[in-house]
Amino acid sequence: MIDNDTISAISTAQGAGGIGIVRVSGKDAFKIGEKILRHPSGKPIQTWPERRVRLGIVVQTGQRVLDEVVFFTFKGPKSYTGEDILEIQGHGGMENLQLILAATLEAGARLAEPGEFTKRAFLNGRLDLAQAEAVIDLINAQTELAHRVAVNQLSGGLSQILHEIEGKLFKILVPIEAALDYPEEDIPPLEKEEALNIIRSVKAQIRTLIDQAERGRILQETATVVLAGRPNVGKSSLLNTLLNEERAIVTPIPGTTRDFVTETIDLQGLPLRIVDTAGLREIDDPIEKEGVNRSWELIKKADLILFIIDSTLGLSVEDRDFIKEIYQSVHRRKLLFVLNKSDLPAKINPTEVNSIYPDEKILSISALTREGIEELKQTIRSELMGEDFSPEHPILVTRLRHKKALEKTKELLAQVEDGLKSGISEDLIAFDLRDAIDSMGEITGRSVNEDIINAIFSQFCVGK
Amino acid sequence: MTPNDKLFDVIIVGAGHAGCEAANATAKMGFKTLLLTIDFNNIAFMPCNPSLGGPAKANLVREVDALGGLMGRVADLAHLQFRELNTHKGPAVRALRAQMDKRRYQEIMQHFLEKEKLISLRQGEVVSLKRTGEYWRVIMSTGVQYETTAVILATGTFLRGLVHIGLHSFPSGPLGQHPANALSEFFQAEGLCFRRFKTGTPARVRKRSLNFSAMIEQPGDHLPYGFSYWIPWQEREQVSCWLTYTNASTHQIIRDNLDRAALFSGAITGVGPRYCPSIESKLINFPQKERHQVFIEPEARYTDEMYVSGASTSLDEEIQDIFLRTIPGLENVEIVRPGYAIEYDVIPSNLLTPSLALKDWPGVFFAGQINGSSGYEEAAAQGIMAGINAGLYLKGEEPFILRRDEAYIGVLIDDLVTKDTLEPYRIMTSRAEFRLSLRQENANHRLTDYGYKYGLISEEEYELFQAEKNRIQQAFDFLNHHHLSPDTPQAEALFKEKGVTVKKKTAFRELLRRPEISYSDFADPETHGLKQREIEVIENAIKYQGYLEREKKMADKLRKMEMKRIPPDFDYNQVPNLSTEAKEKLTNLRPVTLGQASRISGVSPADISAILIWLSRR
Ligand SMILES: Nc1nc2c(ncn2[C@@H]2O[C@H](COP(=O)(O)OP(=O)(O)OP(=O)(O)O)[C@@H](O)[C@H]2O)c(=O)[nH]1
Ligand SMILES: [Mg+2]
Repeated sequence: MIDNDTISAISTAQGAGGIGIVRVSGKDAFKIGEKILRHPSGKPIQTWPERRVRLGIVVQTGQRVLDEVVFFTFKGPKSYTGEDILEIQGHGGMENLQLILAATLEAGARLAEPGEFTKRAFLNGRLDLAQAEAVIDLINAQTELAHRVAVNQLSGGLSQILHEIEGKLFKILVPIEAALDYPEEDIPPLEKEEALNIIRSVKAQIRTLIDQAERGRILQETATVVLAGRPNVGKSSLLNTLLNEERAIVTPIPGTTRDFVTETIDLQGLPLRIVDTAGLREIDDPIEKEGVNRSWELIKKADLILFIIDSTLGLSVEDRDFIKEIYQSVHRRKLLFVLNKSDLPAKINPTEVNSIYPDEKILSISALTREGIEELKQTIRSELMGEDFSPEHPILVTRLRHKKALEKTKELLAQVEDGLKSGISEDLIAFDLRDAIDSMGEITGRSVNEDIINAIFSQFCVGK
Repeated sequence: MTPNDKLFDVIIVGAGHAGCEAANATAKMGFKTLLLTIDFNNIAFMPCNPSLGGPAKANLVREVDALGGLMGRVADLAHLQFRELNTHKGPAVRALRAQMDKRRYQEIMQHFLEKEKLISLRQGEVVSLKRTGEYWRVIMSTGVQYETTAVILATGTFLRGLVHIGLHSFPSGPLGQHPANALSEFFQAEGLCFRRFKTGTPARVRKRSLNFSAMIEQPGDHLPYGFSYWIPWQEREQVSCWLTYTNASTHQIIRDNLDRAALFSGAITGVGPRYCPSIESKLINFPQKERHQVFIEPEARYTDEMYVSGASTSLDEEIQDIFLRTIPGLENVEIVRPGYAIEYDVIPSNLLTPSLALKDWPGVFFAGQINGSSGYEEAAAQGIMAGINAGLYLKGEEPFILRRDEAYIGVLIDDLVTKDTLEPYRIMTSRAEFRLSLRQENANHRLTDYGYKYGLISEEEYELFQAEKNRIQQAFDFLNHHHLSPDTPQAEALFKEKGVTVKKKTAFRELLRRPEISYSDFADPETHGLKQREIEVIENAIKYQGYLEREKKMADKLRKMEMKRIPPDFDYNQVPNLSTEAKEKLTNLRPVTLGQASRISGVSPADISAILIWLSRR
């Protein structure tokens, strides 16, 4: 076996619906499985029989349930890569798969490079003629091509910023390198304070990029906003109002919506998937019951939940129970309270709700008269994208892979900073700086070795 | 039937720094070697500056020495001055630099070669090669023919050498030597397309005409070691160099006369190195710089000739005279030889394999400046590798290729045969990804086992090396197994001297990781029999352990790619999904391994994956 670390990646195409696969390969694949997979009952999994489809749940460290999944294992060397493999099939949303992926990374896997599974398969002699054909296409359709497309997209925004950052770091690195290679030339010594200032400003720049990454994902993958609440509070009405068309059936009868309704809207450049759900209530009717179950599924996966309350009825005991359940079961809770029917006399106002749920935002609207709808739209936007988002300043970091690379860069720059402060020798500072620049290169696909040498000769008159 | 005295295992063409190392290597490997030189007076001649070493270059000298080469030994015996550079910038870039007595260098090198029974040294100009069965017929300008199995071409800058001084130009080797035109024409006729490179030197001046009181003296350092691992170090009486500067009037004269510089008159078509720029290029590229350093370096102990380092030029001889006189200390300068630029043929890198063999020419190797490198050290490094590989070819064994994480030699040759080098190539520490590991003091620990394996290191030398390894191992044991406890007299002493507090019982090795602590804080290295360089080996391994481990990880990653070989006849056109640029470059450069392919500019990771998968079909 050639590689000894364990790698992990999403191995289905982006945006593909249905299910998605996270694949883990390497000697620790099953160990990672032990850390993140449980029986549906929540019990730890003890045995890893080969090639058998099994049901399970994925938990994050901290034991939060991420997804119900199907998984199976292959033992090396008789596996695709020739190493131990764990495949987890989760629900298809990219966001969900990214979370499962993140859990495998947290459990000790390394993010696979594009094509690395195939590379390993090949290096371990596991690829035969027929497979090879298929895999070339597969790789190109999925990781490699996706990667290239990403790089192309970058030719605009991100690569420009990274280039700028690289330029700043070169300002420190190039004089160091020049002086190391040409000790007898009169090259001015490194200005420590100036170098430290540059490092700090670059670190701040990278931090902003990383913060944006989450929003970038939302932008790229279309965020899901779920309209939830008890029956008859006006969820379907709100969907229609947001869509400006009579898409969902609206009646005064509680339990009108039995299955969910999804529509995509464009909120000033921000694509959103709005899901109208069946009203939440304890019910025996099997059809409606299934509808309510689905509502809960959707709530758990939402990027943003609009919990709608009928203001003419006030905050009922059921409302409170459902809110409590949302708090408990939704791991990445983004919640907005919407008091509907503001055109009618109200039993409760935002201030009162706020006194019970001080952390949440509360809006008052009327789906009927459109009162407060604009404000609601603004709030949805800022909840998902932050206050300062505008389409003219597009988000730059849209991939987990990029985010990882930037995080590594930031870490290495912190080391450079420490090194400069504690006065370690310049060959070591150069090492960390190069490493930092290289890890940005994982995004841009550029290697800068030659650039450093070119820069030395363009900036310094060296050589005899 | 070729008579025995015309029959050789290997013939080396050119007795410069590459050729000498190659001959030593093949002879040590037991092969009957003929070393041909176009001028018997110029064996191991230094036509450029009289110095060896400096960052990365010193490492090359030590690496050649560690493999059993000659350069380091000869340099130690022929030095005029030794200095250590970068002493405060970290162990990875610490570098010896030595001024050479050029004449003594030649003499000693010649002596080393003449000592070898298997080497025949002979003057003569090769005009062509002819394949006859399993052999090469090497044909001389006098009509004499030799027969050999392997040939190493180490012809330096002699192939179609063209010297320029101002607007005058004439065919010539360096410093007025006879150029080798016929051999170049032969290769051209065989379809090898050479490219033209250019390099240059400054004027040589007469010592008596200089006023040293107007310059800054640059004395040598008294060091505990020279280059070589194998001969006992003995410092010779050191001779100083001198530093002075150009100024505004120097620059004015040069600017006013640029039309009389070969470099700018359009006469030169070859590409010059950026790191060895002529004074006129420096002025044009860095107009804001008010002065440039000029080092006056002795050429030998018993000569009046001095080298004006930093003022390399292709200006008219008369203008050289005038501008030199504006430099403090050179007011009454007498030029003994004018500076000149030289153009020469260079073989394109895509024709060579990593073993420095010429593709499709069995048993023919190239080494040194003809491969597009510059510098004596770079030449020597290629020479020893070409020599070993010619020997392995004769034995029918796998070639010897050093990796980039093993040696600067590996970086040098990989760059030369992989990158489309567009200018003379100089080794630099910045080129080495694994700079922290490739230190000058540990070259023997990286390479001597190879040297021994291939027969270049003698039994006695290998014993010396084993003894060093034992001493170092014992020192590590000592550091691992001895501890310092708080409140002991030794701990208090350490606090007093170094300000280091010991909070709990700590191994010496652990303490040694701190920058302010050295081996001598625990024991007198001399009582442990350790030499200064060996202490550096120990301290660097401990102090930089974390960084070295990181480099090792990176190197392991690279190695996996390196292990995957691409068949020489691989057809890149059959691989779908390969970018056109990648196809073109790969077809042209024909990399030997996937790792090498991945370093070619324009070849993306996606391309590498596609090749990888395609390879598995075979
Ligand atoms: N006055 C007033 N009536 C509203 C408003 N929004 C909804 N309604 C009415 O409330 C009733 C229920 O509306 P729906 O939109 O069907 O409610 P729902 O939440 O989708 O109900 P289920 O699908 O049963 O869960 C309908 O009669 C709507 O006309 C509002 O803002 N003002
Ligand atoms: Mg409804």
